Amino acid sequence: MIEVSQLTKRYVGHLAVDNVSFQVEKGEIVGFLGPNGAGKSTTIRMLTCFLTPSSGTASIGGYDIEKDSIKVRRQIGYMPENVPLYPDMRVNEYLRFRAALKGMSSRSLTAGVGEAVETCSLNEVQNKMIATLSKGYRQRVGLADALVTKPDLLILDEPTNGLDPQQIRQFRELIKDLGKRHTIFLSTHILPEVEMTCGRVIIINRGKLKASDTPQNLVRRRLEGGDLVLELNGHSGKAMSAIKEIKGVSSVLEEKTEKGWTRFKITSKGTPDLSERIFDLAVERKWKIRELARHDATLEDAFVDLVKHDIAGKGAEG
Amino acid sequence: MKELRSFFLSPFAFIVMALFAFINAWLFVSTVNAMRVATLPYSLVYSVFASGWFWMGFLFIFPVITMRLFAEEKKTGTFEGLMTAPVRTSEVLIGKYSAAVTVYLAMLVPLFLFFPIFKMVTEQEGAFNNGSLWGSMIALVLVGFFNLAIGTLASAITANQLIAAMLTFVGVMLHYFFGFFMGFTTLPNSKWAAGMSYLSTVEHMQLLSQGLIDSRPFIYYLSFSVFILAITYHIIESRKWRI
Repeated sequence: MIEVSQLTKRYVGHLAVDNVSFQVEKGEIVGFLGPNGAGKSTTIRMLTCFLTPSSGTASIGGYDIEKDSIKVRRQIGYMPENVPLYPDMRVNEYLRFRAALKGMSSRSLTAGVGEAVETCSLNEVQNKMIATLSKGYRQRVGLADALVTKPDLLILDEPTNGLDPQQIRQFRELIKDLGKRHTIFLSTHILPEVEMTCGRVIIINRGKLKASDTPQNLVRRRLEGGDLVLELNGHSGKAMSAIKEIKGVSSVLEEKTEKGWTRFKITSKGTPDLSERIFDLAVERKWKIRELARHDATLEDAFVDLVKHDIAGKGAEG
Repeated sequence: MKELRSFFLSPFAFIVMALFAFINAWLFVSTVNAMRVATLPYSLVYSVFASGWFWMGFLFIFPVITMRLFAEEKKTGTFEGLMTAPVRTSEVLIGKYSAAVTVYLAMLVPLFLFFPIFKMVTEQEGAFNNGSLWGSMIALVLVGFFNLAIGTLASAITANQLIAAMLTFVGVMLHYFFGFFMGFTTLPNSKWAAGMSYLSTVEHMQLLSQGLIDSRPFIYYLSFSVFILAITYHIIESRKWRI
């Protein structure tokens, strides 16, 4: 569906997007991830033909974004960042205007708009002025606009930006549902969202592609090692040295909690899972344990890792 | 087109239109009064349109009509949605420009109704002839095309409506005053003066409102309008390449 090859956008003094290549297959839900200013929006703007790349190419549904710009745009339902709308129009009016602008015939207009209104649960506010709508509703109007012509591909730039947790959950459900009919490419910096909705993640930082994988794989890749938490009563000094002797433990942090209880945070390297060894040790030494837990790495950890390395590297260069 | 509807829906538009009609009505009445007192060498039509008062109000309407066209879309960000829809830039430009032209023509209608109504009411056949009425109408429409193109260009340059309006006003004014430079230059008969007067709004207007219709103003205004719109097109497209 999307085919990006060596896409580059150069502004004065910096590269916003630097030699980025990736593919998105039909039917996928792909999360496009990166810190603020990483080049997400610039990439998306090139895909939607709002900007022209400095070099490199991209095609959508087989059409080149520069040569067949109109055909490309016909396949995309795009929801720009911050969802700009005309505040002095009514919801219905706006959607009809947009659908007509996108070339929908006047006969299919009413049905199409009706369906989009239905999908995005906009029935109650259909006849309200956009200016009077809440953020959540505006976001849904933007989404309804994106899918009114039933495009093959939905490109959503930070669709859940500025919504409250309840609305984010609703939106997520909506996107999952839409994923059954459309290919979805959504940018965000909210990680749980990606974990729950996207089949694949593309991570970009400082204009460079960092990773392109399933969220599970990204987490697993980082999981060599991992953190363990152990909380026990008494013997803190002896326990500390005993734990440190276990092969694979790289560092142990100690923290006194309540009377007599001590909490250890154990970081390991190389060995996949140390919890069994620690359990054995505890039985052997007759420690009174009330917690032994493995802290699974999250996508957030993986993301921070990927991005952090880069910042450290930059610092060394500069 | 959306432009048109939003223009007529906002109360602002009606205030501007009412004001414009009011100024012209007042002007019309005072010209008629002046004619009653003393005989003027020109027709009623000519006297109305040659008055400085008319031009004061007239030149103000262009920035008001055009300042929002692109500037507002850029400011609110809806420009992005517009340009990523499957429509050509030229279609967007023509759509916006023709909306502006429509609004402008709607504003002219009451003005031109004054004359036939005057004729009907007073039965003064000699006050003006139809040729000069048609001539001035054509002149105003032509000048309008040109000035609206300037306004469209100004609106495409900036995201600030106020700046767009001021640029338009300056552009329109400069163009209007070209005709008066003739009087200021030390060499009144030089080629420069002749050139300037060819560019001037007033000069064309005077000829046309006397009922003299020739092809020069048509070619001049239409070709320049197209030229300015072409520049506007490239400015809108240039956002893609800007670094």
